[in-house]
Amino acid sequence: MPWRAVLTATALLTFAATAGWELAARAQGYGPSPDDNADLWAEQRAKVRPDSLVLVGTSRMLFNADLDVLEQALGRRPIQLALAGSSPFPILENLAQDESFRGTVILDIVPAMFLAPGGPPMEVSQKALARYREWTPAQRWSHAIGKPLDAGLAFINQDDLALPKLLERIQLPERAAFKSPPKLPPYFFAVDGDRRGRMVPEAAVIGSPLQQRVAHGWLPLFSPPPPPSFIPAEQFMAMMGQAIEARFGQTARLIADIRARGGKVVFVRMPVQGPLVEREEMLAPLAATWHRLVRENAVPAINFTDHAELSAFTLPEWSHLSAPDSVEFTKRLAPHLQRALSHGDATATANLVMPGPVSG
Amino acid sequence: MIFNSLTFVVFFAAVLAAYWAIPSWGARKNILLGASYLFYAAWNPPFVLLLVLSTLIDHVAGARMAAATRPAARKAWLAFSLVANLGMLGYFKYGTFVLENFQALLALAGITYVPPQMNIVLPVGISFYTFQTLSYSLDIYRGQMAPVRSFRDFALYVTFFPQLVAGPIVRAVDFLPQMVNAPRPQAGRMAWGLFLMTLGLFQKAVLADTLLSGAADSVFGFRGPLAGLDAWTGVLAFSGQIFFDFAGYSTCAIGASLCLGFSLGDNFRFPYAAVGFSDFWRRWHLSLSTFLRDYLYIPLGGNRSGAARMVINLVIVMLLGGLWHGAAWTFVVWGLIHGLMLVLERGLRHLFKDAAWTQTLGVQLLLGLATYVVVCIAWVFFRAGNFGTALGLLAAMTGNLPIAGEAILSTRQIAQVALVTVGLLGAHWLLRHTTLEAVVARSPRWVLSGVWSLMLFTLILNQGNGNAFIYFQF
Repeated sequence: MPWRAVLTATALLTFAATAGWELAARAQGYGPSPDDNADLWAEQRAKVRPDSLVLVGTSRMLFNADLDVLEQALGRRPIQLALAGSSPFPILENLAQDESFRGTVILDIVPAMFLAPGGPPMEVSQKALARYREWTPAQRWSHAIGKPLDAGLAFINQDDLALPKLLERIQLPERAAFKSPPKLPPYFFAVDGDRRGRMVPEAAVIGSPLQQRVAHGWLPLFSPPPPPSFIPAEQFMAMMGQAIEARFGQTARLIADIRARGGKVVFVRMPVQGPLVEREEMLAPLAATWHRLVRENAVPAINFTDHAELSAFTLPEWSHLSAPDSVEFTKRLAPHLQRALSHGDATATANLVMPGPVSG
Repeated sequence: MIFNSLTFVVFFAAVLAAYWAIPSWGARKNILLGASYLFYAAWNPPFVLLLVLSTLIDHVAGARMAAATRPAARKAWLAFSLVANLGMLGYFKYGTFVLENFQALLALAGITYVPPQMNIVLPVGISFYTFQTLSYSLDIYRGQMAPVRSFRDFALYVTFFPQLVAGPIVRAVDFLPQMVNAPRPQAGRMAWGLFLMTLGLFQKAVLADTLLSGAADSVFGFRGPLAGLDAWTGVLAFSGQIFFDFAGYSTCAIGASLCLGFSLGDNFRFPYAAVGFSDFWRRWHLSLSTFLRDYLYIPLGGNRSGAARMVINLVIVMLLGGLWHGAAWTFVVWGLIHGLMLVLERGLRHLFKDAAWTQTLGVQLLLGLATYVVVCIAWVFFRAGNFGTALGLLAAMTGNLPIAGEAILSTRQIAQVALVTVGLLGAHWLLRHTTLEAVVARSPRWVLSGVWSLMLFTLILNQGNGNAFIYFQF
């Protein structure tokens, strides 16, 4: 076999195909950016020090909180541990169980996500935590080696352009009995090395195909999944109810642990708009969830609906702020956080908790 | 570190460059040894000490055994090696399993016993390197090889990074002679090694992880009753996944070794084209099956002591083979199915005495298909993790569910599994009497370049998450 010729041809063909794919990715609007994967999260988690300021929550915290603005306002650069599509409960639990941690947790609570007893929201957080706990030297090195590739190549995008994601785009007729799980929204945000998330500009353009796809993707995702066929519905609902009830007690114990060590916890309810408000209320009524969590834990709590300046934004896809608006939103949120963190808990609670009528 | 990671790409390139740049054979072996320890430490650095201990034990035992003049002393040193190696394996791999079963036994007798929480972490690859060091001691005891004087050479045999954590299990008698003379760089050998590494990574990252693992994970992870189509799809997906995962690792290991000038034997020979279970074990995980044959089946008496003894020996060997894979009763059942099928096959061969009609293509195809189906049924126990899941899946596969099962796989997932399975079985059947080398040698160079670059580009496109190989847990 003439191996020299074979090797040369193979190298040229592979290079040409890769270069072509890179150009195609850029032509579709993709740019180089870090993958928001478990390694990047574990890297941030490893940065947590005893007195760190930590942001925990869902994609709303990830998109809406500007780290530079918060650093300027609060005197410390926050560490972004929020995860898209997650229940932040396991992350709160991890921080509470970290005996060295006595810092500040700013916890974004989307009640339906926070109280999810299991399923994908819990798995997202658990996967990230597992990587942090079991992060081998080899995985750390791969993460470090991969950074320059992430920074230089647009096609490196595990969320949207990796082969498994490309295969998922193939649509075939489904069997009648197949219960299709709701699809996750398409790629519509990018993070930087500090995991500061930003909505891509096209998703913020009202009426754009991407904005439409993202917005209309939320309603099925925020619908309760059908109970499994092999457990009686009443029994299943009772199990879920017990798990959710237990979550309230667990949350109280975790927050008490953090506070007992001198740490602080602040609840934040991020903006939500449009039909999603009603859907979330149906799934997890605020009176029975958010207000109960605030009441039982007596921590400072900032609900966007209580503050006109925090409610004055248009959310392009009902759930997140556009990148420019997120900077302004954080500037307006900062004074509330300053107050919550500088006042004693009881005072802050009295000042900030507004268990009044709920509005969208 | 795992082959399908950026760390390994950089590591291997650096090792290869340093290894071939240095003229001294001794220095090159030192580089390989250092690289092998680094490769292993990249998982969990403290476990390197265990590897060193295992190496030390058998190096000393081998030397003392050879020097001993009295049979009793030789036996004592062999016993030392066996107890130390199997003791380590037993503690790390079977400690929790034994305690749990002890607890269950006491509970049956009405005694409540709460064992201490051991939280034992299984050192990666311990089953593989323990068997390697054992083969060295056993071969010296049986007078089949002389002990190696150089501790460095022996340590390199035990820790050689391409096959350290998931095989093939290499015998000292095959590997140590390759360390006598320095290999010369050969372009063809290097290119073939790189081709094999690409093929192995493609099997693992694209075929096993991307195309098959999703369906297998969904089906084996589902807690309710499944539709028959979904159950079969999940089982076929796993049968393909485990082959591509494990054969992919072996292919990478053989390729990486070739790049460094070492030859390792084949570990797979198109096993899903097997006609019968004897044939299957001549094609699947050869380094384990020959190890069990030479160090367990034959010493037990093999087939030399009558039919009844042979049946017992076959079942013992396959039960232990099952237990080697994992500390769970489901693995024992997997081994038992294989053992019983081997016994059944011997019986049928005795009955039909290879009659001419059994050799016709149609019958061979049917027998091959039947073998594959039973192998798949055995995989259900291998993968399920518990008997509830395994029996539920078998009920779904045979249409014996009391209620309608759920359809959990999308049409795309089913199509992926079907296409890969048909391709896998077709390729194995077509290649069952040949080798990959022969096929590549016959291929036009443009076909080879095209296939190679397609595999490389698909790997780049895949942007794998670096999932660990399944056999690391064994």
